Amino acid sequence: MSESSGSALQPGRPSRQPAVHPENLSLDSSCFSSPPVNFLQELPSYLSIARRRMTVHSRDKQSGTLLKPTDSYSSQLEDRIAENLSSQSLRNYALNISEKRRLRDIQETQMKYLSEWDQWKRYSSKSWKRFLEKAREMTTHLELWREDIRSIEGKFGTGIQSYFSFLRFLVLLNLVIFLIVFTLVLLPVLLTKYKITNSSFVLIPFKDMDIQCTVYPVSSSGLIYFYSYIIDLLSGTGFLEETSLFYGHYTIDGVKFQNFTYDLPLAYLLSTIAYLALSLLWIVKRSVEGFKINLIRSEEHFQSYCNKIFAGWDFCITNRSMADLKHSSLRYELREIDKMVFGENLFILYLPSIVITLANFITPMIFAKIIRYEDYSPGFEIRLTILRCVFMRLATICVLVFTLGSKITSCDDDTCDLCGYNQKLYPCWETQVGQEMYKLMIFDFIIILAVTLFVDFPRKLLVTYCSSCKLIQCWGQQEFAIPDNVLGIVYGQTICWIGAFFSPLLPAIATLKFIIIFYVKEWSLLYTCRPSPRPFRASNSNFFFLLVLLIGLCLAIIPLTISISRIPSSKACGPFTNFNTTWEVIPKTVSTFPSSLRSFIHGVTSEAFAVPFFMIICLIMFYFIALAGAHKQVVIQLREQLSLESRDKRYLIQKLTEAQRDMRN
Amino acid sequence: MGQCLRYQMHWEDLEEYQALTFLTRNEILCIHDTFLKLCPPGKYYKEATLTMDQVSSLPALRVNPFRDRICRVFSHKGVFSFEDVLGMASVFSEQACPSLKIEYAFRIYDFNENGFIDEEDLQRIILRLLNSDDMSEDLLMDLTNHVLSESDLDNDNMLSFSEFEHAMAKSPDFMNSFRIHFWGC
Repeated sequence: MSESSGSALQPGRPSRQPAVHPENLSLDSSCFSSPPVNFLQELPSYLSIARRRMTVHSRDKQSGTLLKPTDSYSSQLEDRIAENLSSQSLRNYALNISEKRRLRDIQETQMKYLSEWDQWKRYSSKSWKRFLEKAREMTTHLELWREDIRSIEGKFGTGIQSYFSFLRFLVLLNLVIFLIVFTLVLLPVLLTKYKITNSSFVLIPFKDMDIQCTVYPVSSSGLIYFYSYIIDLLSGTGFLEETSLFYGHYTIDGVKFQNFTYDLPLAYLLSTIAYLALSLLWIVKRSVEGFKINLIRSEEHFQSYCNKIFAGWDFCITNRSMADLKHSSLRYELREIDKMVFGENLFILYLPSIVITLANFITPMIFAKIIRYEDYSPGFEIRLTILRCVFMRLATICVLVFTLGSKITSCDDDTCDLCGYNQKLYPCWETQVGQEMYKLMIFDFIIILAVTLFVDFPRKLLVTYCSSCKLIQCWGQQEFAIPDNVLGIVYGQTICWIGAFFSPLLPAIATLKFIIIFYVKEWSLLYTCRPSPRPFRASNSNFFFLLVLLIGLCLAIIPLTISISRIPSSKACGPFTNFNTTWEVIPKTVSTFPSSLRSFIHGVTSEAFAVPFFMIICLIMFYFIALAGAHKQVVIQLREQLSLESRDKRYLIQKLTEAQRDMRN
Repeated sequence: MGQCLRYQMHWEDLEEYQALTFLTRNEILCIHDTFLKLCPPGKYYKEATLTMDQVSSLPALRVNPFRDRICRVFSHKGVFSFEDVLGMASVFSEQACPSLKIEYAFRIYDFNENGFIDEEDLQRIILRLLNSDDMSEDLLMDLTNHVLSESDLDNDNMLSFSEFEHAMAKSPDFMNSFRIHFWGC
């Protein structure tokens, strides 16, 4: 690479005045001025870095040097050749295409000097890589909504695009959850019901249970008025109650196929555990990159000047108005950055929480007002707002679930002792809970649609056509508020996670709901909203959305664990009629295992194993923490050494320049 | 292969470009298509060239504050051949490796092309980003000093390539923002 030393810096130019280090002033700036650039370009370190930039960039492999024709013919040692033919592909080279072509030809001629084995190895690794690329290209075609998300990114930037990518991820997650539930629970039932396979249901009669517990008054489906049909559709009662939508339909103890009996209760419980574990793993895997960034690089790196200036512009913006918006948001960010105040006043920090408990339904407006007084940095502000809204909304689910739970397990005059739960009000309590979750999901969906159609759309019409009315112009079009929208879908997903145990078809409904919401939101964004002028960066928002989703998942696991292990399963319906609690299926299944496996499982789940295991994990964790601390120390020392070496270098160059000048005179 | 007959490109050339760049088949064909529309008619695509103005006014680059630098870095002798355009699209594609993007970002941000990003370059970058004429000198110096204090490890008032590489490796937004979708492919 030929560096044109165009405008070399003048020698003797004063070095930068550091902001707040008066002691450095006396040492640095008065003694050693910045050396002229063309001198620096002659240094061996610069030249070797320049050479390295032309070739393979890999931190862990040996980097080869750029091959010139003379090199390849002068040294023909096999290992040198093998080193030069690094396994990195030609694409990683920072050269233009004709130079890459020349390099490839040189590489191919060099291949002849390798042994047969090495040649075959290179050939097979190349074809394997080509195969992987073709496969990757195929899968990008299958990627859902690729063009839509790209055009949103171009018009509105990466912040809003991250919301739509998040929504796409949830659609896929719900689809996979539904597939799990379908294959484990629904498929055997459907196969038997429609007589596709030669199988039958196994129904074990109740053994010495009070007959009262098994009474389940099912509403007769006689003549239904139309309006009650709609009510049933919206709230899951009536004709929907006995369908496969809800838990109560699966009053089956097993499915008997030709060779084996399929244990449906066990499969039902395992499908629940499987989808919860899968959701957890997938969310954690997706957030691992953002997490690593957040762990190693603290908050300061998002707010760092380097990040804002070198990576501040979204190169994918194609829209003039979006570009203007980006310029103004950068102006806002770079000017406000000096006024960052990180939550010093604790009272103001707790005041919103007090307000939430007092006035539940006006809190979002109060949040917006308070955030202006708190004067946080823009990024921190948005995240704090989202967190507060999330906790408030998820709290409503908590309250609902808690209320339901207490009503199910409490009853007056001891009727609970008979069956373990309030049999009179809730003969099949799982279906009732499923109905509540179904209702919540449907109403949430209706409200999102209604707000878009009946609030955003008329607002936009008013703004467009009523341009004379000052008040309406002041109000303006709806801003696409990312926090509110993210909150809405996290809320929907939490309901789906809780409800999927009680209503196996709920994930399918959730998938459809999110697909429709994607199109509605996209339409609303393009036609009725104006983008928010607040800066919202994609990198930390990706990680943050997944964190909020993880909070929702943890919140969903708690009521599920309590209802599976504590509350007795209903004896009138469902696959767990012959067990005390839902969890009892597992110990009963384990007791049917061979004795060696049984004792192994008992050993692994006992305290004698758990306590040493926990202690070993703690030791490993402390080791890694200590290692990280040691590395940090080394980095600090190396940085100090680097700046000392640089001072020496500048001193030497200055002396050299003076000596040259003296010699010339 | 029937597709290639619509274009002037041979199948072997397409395979070669796929092997040498990070672009997919469709992207290469899209770029080829648009290149043919812009260059003078009747010329073979491998010999035709586009001027820097033509490339600057492409929809993907039109509103980019660094479009002149991008054109200067990727062009040869002031014009763009088809392979130059492909090289540019490859660096800005989603699949490109981080080291390649950092290398070209350094070249783009080095306004005075002296091999270092010095204060003058930083000030020009900031002015381009903010796109405002009324910048106080103090704010500009302040921002420049902040950037240098974060990433200038050897205290020489300039960012060498290693320092820039180190800063961009820590930057969480760099890979996301240094992407361009050419020609809506």
